Amino acid sequence: MAELLQFVITGISVGMVYALIALGFVLVWKSSSVANLALGQIVLISSWFTYSMLAQAELPVYIAFPIVILFALFLGWVIERFALRPLIAQPILSLITVTLGIGYFIEGVITFIWPWSVDALPRLFPKEVIHIGPAVISQEYVWVIVICLVVFVLLTAFFRYHRMGIAMRATADDQMAVQACGIPVTRVFSTSWMFACCVAAIGGVLISSIGGITHGLLETGLKAFSVVILGGLDSFAGAIIAGPIIGLCESLGGGYLTPYLWAGVKDIIPFVIIIIVMVIKPYGLFGEERIERI
Amino acid sequence: MSLPCGTRNHNYAEDMAIVRTKTHRVLIIGLLVIIFTAPLYFSNYWLGVFNLIGITLIAAIGLNILVGYCGQLSIGHAGFIAVGAYTAAILTNRLEMPFLVGLIGAGVVSGLIGIIFGLPSVRVKGFYLAITTIAAQFIIIWVINHWGYTGGFLGIKVPYASIGGFVFRSESSQFYLIIIIAALCVFFAKNLARTKVGRAFIAIRDNDLAAEVMGINLLYYKLLAFFIGCFFAGIAGALLAHWIGFLNAEQFSFTESILYVGMIIIGGLGTSLGPIFGVVFIRILQQLLTVELVPFLESSFTMFPSGFATGITPMLFGLVIVLFLILEPRGLAHRWSLFKSAYRLWPFSY
Repeated sequence: MAELLQFVITGISVGMVYALIALGFVLVWKSSSVANLALGQIVLISSWFTYSMLAQAELPVYIAFPIVILFALFLGWVIERFALRPLIAQPILSLITVTLGIGYFIEGVITFIWPWSVDALPRLFPKEVIHIGPAVISQEYVWVIVICLVVFVLLTAFFRYHRMGIAMRATADDQMAVQACGIPVTRVFSTSWMFACCVAAIGGVLISSIGGITHGLLETGLKAFSVVILGGLDSFAGAIIAGPIIGLCESLGGGYLTPYLWAGVKDIIPFVIIIIVMVIKPYGLFGEERIERI
Repeated sequence: MSLPCGTRNHNYAEDMAIVRTKTHRVLIIGLLVIIFTAPLYFSNYWLGVFNLIGITLIAAIGLNILVGYCGQLSIGHAGFIAVGAYTAAILTNRLEMPFLVGLIGAGVVSGLIGIIFGLPSVRVKGFYLAITTIAAQFIIIWVINHWGYTGGFLGIKVPYASIGGFVFRSESSQFYLIIIIAALCVFFAKNLARTKVGRAFIAIRDNDLAAEVMGINLLYYKLLAFFIGCFFAGIAGALLAHWIGFLNAEQFSFTESILYVGMIIIGGLGTSLGPIFGVVFIRILQQLLTVELVPFLESSFTMFPSGFATGITPMLFGLVIVLFLILEPRGLAHRWSLFKSAYRLWPFSY
């Protein structure tokens, strides 16, 4: 029982982070239909940047974290302005591969600046464990859940009340109509990229505060795609609901299947889910099914 | 513009011929002579590089058929190469089958796995398919790492290739083996694009709904594209296994898959020359960077933490892929055809 509760809470909290990273994907996909496959690399580089700020420059958290956010915003702006703006209205193949190229480039930058490739973030959250019923859980997991919920609420409020948020929703709905209304679509695109990198960075910091910074974070970025696929590519609610589901599957499956299968089954579960969803319901739980015409 | 001035097609055979002019023939024969006498004037080191280029070329041709002609984006090609490599390794090492059986078996098994992961392509395309193939890559590598029969993390040894008692032990004999198979693959791909199947692929790439309405069986042709593409990957994997002699799943990483996509984009998607240009460009660049530039930087900038210069290679590759997509999306093959037509019309501009 204690074991189960532990798996559930760690699963939900890791799943929340996946959902956060997935939100970054959905943001870009909805506004500009660009599939961002460089998510893992963005997560990794912002974790390393946080590491530099906290461990190497030894800044306090309340200064370091805003700098990380600014860095993520800048990263998003640069990617959109220099790599994706020249490719507006290109076929989807180029749009996907250009993000792969960006990811490759960022990976090189990471190796160039932080070549030792494994490190731990300084402790962000208090060390004491929490007792929930019979289960013993380290405090990070609970903090991660809380922070993710706060970010979800902030994002929802932004899309509901802020002018830019409304413009972004409108762009997702009908790009032509938005242009006709005089909303600068390119600015919407670049804002969505900046926001995407920002949430990916927050997700990266949270997950590396649990598991340390390794190249495994690249896979975390890819696992976020299973959230996107399960929830539906163009659905915020889908991502938020599918995230914990994937996290639960991963931690429960990893916990209970490992004795029966080979070790490390945990890492493969999200990818198996991708294949299953693709075969059964390719547009996900909440995704809009596109009806195509010739 | 595809033919030089004064060359006319008078009958069907002339229209379909690959080699049309005397210059053409002389150049092709000259190229083949240079390639087949390469072991005479290149050192073993460069022959090794050429072997790698040949193997990569076979896989890239497969990917070009799948992505360039049929438009089914696959970012898991290294996974399918791994399937081929491990099939060949298991067949020749554990079951002690002859090399040729291993080679064909590797192609077929890889093709079948490709069909399995290609099944979603019937319903989805674009990004969905890309994600499916990424998932395929990770699942395949995971299975290889954990299944005892493949050697797991410890790796598996592969014997030298041998046909009828002749063992391909030296670098130059392997060079001939690889280059002959690669040449056959280039020829096959060139011809495939001009058959009914190739035209069906192109129709599916341009608009799969329209193709279906015109009576092309989407299920059959998409899965066929996956089979052919992964068959080539399997052949390349088998050759790679016999060439290296030792397999480890780290040789088939996700970044390698991205590099394959980069190669066919740099070369030019959906052209028969594209993969050749792309593969030669990327592999030579990789060789120069990792062998020349990285050790040089490491030794001259000792104040940085060790290993920093290994980041140069992915950085440059990423940059090259992005720049090609932005500045020359049709790749080096397009530049080559521009050069050809300019050469033919010289000294006039058109």
